[in-house]
Amino acid sequence: MKTLFALFLFVATASPLVADEPLHLTLRDHKFVPEQIEAPAHVKFRLLIKNEGDSAIEWEIDELDREEMVEPGEERGVFLGPLEPGKYRFYDDRHQATKGTLIVK
Amino acid sequence: MKRIITAALLFAGAARADELRLISPNEIDYREIEIEHEGLAAFDHSPGRDGGRIYSLDVGTGITRWWHVGAELDYEREAGPDRPTQINGAQLETLVRLTEPGEGWVDAGLYAEYDRSALHSRENPDGVLVGGVFLKDIGRTTHTLDLFFNKAFSPDEDVSGVRFSYAWQSRWNIWRQFAPAIEVFGQAGRVDQPDRFERGQLIAGPVATGTFLLGPLGRLRYEAGYLFGATDASPSGTVRWKVEMEIPL
Repeated sequence: MKTLFALFLFVATASPLVADEPLHLTLRDHKFVPEQIEAPAHVKFRLLIKNEGDSAIEWEIDELDREEMVEPGEERGVFLGPLEPGKYRFYDDRHQATKGTLIVK
Repeated sequence: MKRIITAALLFAGAARADELRLISPNEIDYREIEIEHEGLAAFDHSPGRDGGRIYSLDVGTGITRWWHVGAELDYEREAGPDRPTQINGAQLETLVRLTEPGEGWVDAGLYAEYDRSALHSRENPDGVLVGGVFLKDIGRTTHTLDLFFNKAFSPDEDVSGVRFSYAWQSRWNIWRQFAPAIEVFGQAGRVDQPDRFERGQLIAGPVATGTFLLGPLGRLRYEAGYLFGATDASPSGTVRWKVEMEIPL
């Protein structure tokens, strides 16, 4: 049982290759800045989302089944990838006209 | 809870429908209220195994980013002829997320549930269920595995043993409105006396899932599928559906 638990901990915490620098995304004046983010293919990376607006946002990317609630003035990170090259659309679920694109190359 | 499937296998001879669930460790509806209806209908050529139904209504929310709570009310019609539809019971459920999504190789959570029977008989006891829930994203696909242990509080030893059940879903996130998936639900019987494979309960099949954005009202999620019985103890076909509203707070 201890061996199984140790194996689970190892597997759960082991990470593939991770990009050194996080990517940055800001919600400002009801828009994502930048609206297009470029990310490396086949590498896990961290996206830092900062909310400079006056209401909470719920950043969401359907194709990757990932979402994150970011309160006003807050910055939160999400781990994404490794991903195949392509375009992945994200949006603010609380203001659904606020959109952007993650471009993986 | 988002993309949580609470279904039930409805077998003749089963004193109470044993529930099946598919739970993602990352589905914490923080700052949202979820209202969810699920249904299940089992079909079989044998009259004693045909006609089972489950209908449920669930309300839940994320207390924090890593802790979700919910309550559920179940109606049931057991399989077999001339069975009534009645309140089956109520459940309190909680999910704790143990890992940051995507940070490690696999995401993990701990799920627990207290099941209060409305029937209060030896064959329909209260019970608790605990389990580990795991998720792995690979590109545009999402894979979920749940392992559950269920203990019923009954003086009847056939009912009271600790039972093991499992669920698996692999989903292809093609579009927001439509993401096909394959699901497997199984029960292996008592931990200390596992059923032989053909006597265990196993259903599997295709499911359509999707989400529609509703502006300030939030999101509407749906799931609908047909699961085939894979063992003699399973109904030959099971239709299941779910409709869920996620309303921002």
